[in-house]
Amino acid sequence: MTRYVLGRLGSVVLILLAVCLFTYLIFFKLSPDPAVMICGKTCTPDRINSIRDVLGLNQPILTQFWEFLRGIFAGRQYGSVHCPAPCLGYSFQTNESVWSMITARLPVSITVAVGAAVLWLLAGVIGGLVSAVKQGTWWDRTAMALALGGVSIPNYVLALLLQYVLVVKLQVLPFPSAVPFADNPVLWFESYLMPWVVLAVGYACLYARLTRSNVIDTLSENYFRTARAKGLSGSLIMRRHALRPALTPITTIFGMDFAGLLGGALITETVFGLNGIGKMAADSIAKNDQPVIMAVTLLAAFFVVIGNVVVDLLYTALDPRVRVVSS
Amino acid sequence: MSDLFIVDDLTVTFPTSRGPVEVVKNLSFTVGRDDTLGIVGESGSGKSMTALAVLGLLPRGAQTSGSVRLDGTELLGKSERDLRAVRGNAISMVFQDPLSSLNPYYTVGLQISEMYQTHQGGSRRAAKQVAIEALERVGIPDPERRVDHYPHQFSGGQRQRVMIAMALCCSPSLLIADEPTTALDVTVQAQILELLAELQSTTGTGMIFITHDLAVISSIAQRVLVMREGDPVEYGTAEQVFSDPQHEYTRMLLDAVPRIDDEVPA
Amino acid sequence: MTTSPTLVEVEEAVPSGPLAPPTSGKRVVTTITRDKGALACLVFLAIVVLMAVAAPLITKLSGWGPYQFDSAAINSDLGGVPHGSLGGISGSHWFGVEPQNGRDLFARIVYGARVSITISLSATLLTGILGVVLGMLAGFYRGWVDQVISRLMDFLMAFPALIFMIAILSSLPSGNRPVLLVVVISVFGWPYLARVIRGQTMTLANREFVEAARASGAKDTQVVFREILPNLRGSIVVMTTLAIPGFIGTEAGLSFLGVGVSPPTASWGQMIASSVSWYSVDPMFFAIPGAFLFLTVLSLTVLGDKIRTLIDQGEAA
Repeated sequence: MTRYVLGRLGSVVLILLAVCLFTYLIFFKLSPDPAVMICGKTCTPDRINSIRDVLGLNQPILTQFWEFLRGIFAGRQYGSVHCPAPCLGYSFQTNESVWSMITARLPVSITVAVGAAVLWLLAGVIGGLVSAVKQGTWWDRTAMALALGGVSIPNYVLALLLQYVLVVKLQVLPFPSAVPFADNPVLWFESYLMPWVVLAVGYACLYARLTRSNVIDTLSENYFRTARAKGLSGSLIMRRHALRPALTPITTIFGMDFAGLLGGALITETVFGLNGIGKMAADSIAKNDQPVIMAVTLLAAFFVVIGNVVVDLLYTALDPRVRVVSS
Repeated sequence: MSDLFIVDDLTVTFPTSRGPVEVVKNLSFTVGRDDTLGIVGESGSGKSMTALAVLGLLPRGAQTSGSVRLDGTELLGKSERDLRAVRGNAISMVFQDPLSSLNPYYTVGLQISEMYQTHQGGSRRAAKQVAIEALERVGIPDPERRVDHYPHQFSGGQRQRVMIAMALCCSPSLLIADEPTTALDVTVQAQILELLAELQSTTGTGMIFITHDLAVISSIAQRVLVMREGDPVEYGTAEQVFSDPQHEYTRMLLDAVPRIDDEVPA
Repeated sequence: MTTSPTLVEVEEAVPSGPLAPPTSGKRVVTTITRDKGALACLVFLAIVVLMAVAAPLITKLSGWGPYQFDSAAINSDLGGVPHGSLGGISGSHWFGVEPQNGRDLFARIVYGARVSITISLSATLLTGILGVVLGMLAGFYRGWVDQVISRLMDFLMAFPALIFMIAILSSLPSGNRPVLLVVVISVFGWPYLARVIRGQTMTLANREFVEAARASGAKDTQVVFREILPNLRGSIVVMTTLAIPGFIGTEAGLSFLGVGVSPPTASWGQMIASSVSWYSVDPMFFAIPGAFLFLTVLSLTVLGDKIRTLIDQGEAA
């Protein structure tokens, strides 16, 4: 078992390295010269060159990449500016280390992800379960029709629609602002409510459809028939013999979706003006702030790859039949 | 001694796109208190449907008519809630494929004890003890350890033993076994049949044994019912049916069983 | 969900159960034409495709091109709000006009349809080719071919596709946007199809009929094209059909964020983005492109669903 985990972690590191290198190389040519930016208006080629020297920009690209990797563990020196470990880069446009930018904004993205996840799991799984049990009835047909609609609406369209109706027209909610929970719990809740709902709608509909089809499958399984023949109570049968077997694939899919969201829900955060990782990514792309773009890409990839490993391990825990046999 | 289980004029109808189809037609039979009734027929004869109808486990849309009485109580038409008190408690069922009939996500111990707790109540610990004893009674070695194992960790024959242990843990009056040995190897088949016979004599349970295999029936049933496409075709004691079959279909089935002294065609 | 398909969508899209015998195309057509909901979707899609194909002709009939400014239709005193209610809907401007520049909304919707359809169909085609070819190669030859392709797929799927797409698209020059969009979308889209195809190819390659074909002397290419590919038809049809609405959403999303087709080319996503600052005074500017986008994705999803159910059932009556 440990060998398996170590092997997986090994491939995690490899993939992240590959992602990092690839991103670095792609943006090396494409981003503006930071030396030019620092230099400012009154610039001479000599000054630019000396700044480049200080920043290490005149070195071969792979050396620069190596310096970047080293900086993640050991911190890095950009001339007179010190970027403490873990140094994922330094933004000369905002004059901050990228890591401190990330830590400032990660809580917002996590709040968005967790709140949406709770909503969509509850709505999706329960909705799908009820639909499956009531298969063919008007409830089932209506729910599935709504689910189709929910899957088809782009989240920015829904976001703008909700904002228009709830904030502008009916004025029941304020424009969202990323106020910490401790400062103003009510405003905090009101600010996050729309992003949660918008993000949750799409996923909830997908999960409802998936849960429904999985439960319909379990309901026709032989072990379900056995459970009924044993005279077990309705809720026990539903919980243990219908829902539990159906949930295994859903749990693993959820792991991947959630991991993807931790890297920032770019569109949702941008539309609602929430200062999370996603919005930081969008802003830095607009300003062409290369170190930030690099770091955000790496962070998001990190969550996805780790999520993959967690999900695989989770699967062995969830399904007794695939437990890795310890020799 | 009054009969334990009486089925009278049972008919099961299914709606299909071509109109309603009767899968069981005017079936009548009885089962005595520690008797075994063997129901024989080919696939599609309606024998499994009969079993499901008795416990109210037919698929949605099925219609039943007639009467099914256990110890005088009418079962057809009972509410789902009342039926749950009967299932597993007064009447238990063992199915054909033990691998797919057991939930792969839970230990066999849990699947036995949940049944016991539903009908008899009690703590989880007590129910687990009952599960261990049940496993022991059906011949599973090392039951204290095996009670925490999952279905896929047992062999085919052992899994069927588990199913039987589960079915008998609440001491039902009637056990319905739907092709319990069909999915097993021949040697294992014999062991399971032996087990069933032994358990029946110790507990005094009535049994309905459903199969397509006449040879199996001959060794364990006192009364035999032959079914064909939903119709009851022959019904009588085992001796009667085997030595002097009345219906042509029964004769055909008997002839189809290979015998050691059969002549080889030239 | 409007960008790279989540695992859920892929899971949903894969036909469940053992690979059933292929459903006849005729059966698909007859079943769909009998279903009222599916038929409505088909009609709407036909309209959208017609818009895309015949855009120049249609706008000639409606009177206004997508790039023409009609300053008479907007009230410059009020900051550019269109005259009349409902965003300026009139006999001359069927869907009204855009605020501030007075461009005919109907013409821009029609040309927007062209962008959405061409880009999504091209991306589907490219993704389909890449996904099927690479998936089959990996599944059939196994060994190091499989290792290389699978690592590549892992690598691409680990990328935060949206971020990367935006970053690349915003840093490259504006020339030939549509081609760039198609390429970028396809690069991140093919692994999901390839993964499924790879799995199914591996299962099929072990089946008896493949063994039989080889035993009778068939070469590798013959086995691949005559034995395996036809059995993959169902999965391919289902996954590509369900990919189209996803790509439409992706293109619209990228245009919404400003990195899609460059203005003044019309795109539904870009129109929605522009409508944000106007939605308190001219909600139609948001509603009309929004509705078209939603209904197009919905119709495609409904149809894709139906097709998937049919293919799942195979030839069973």
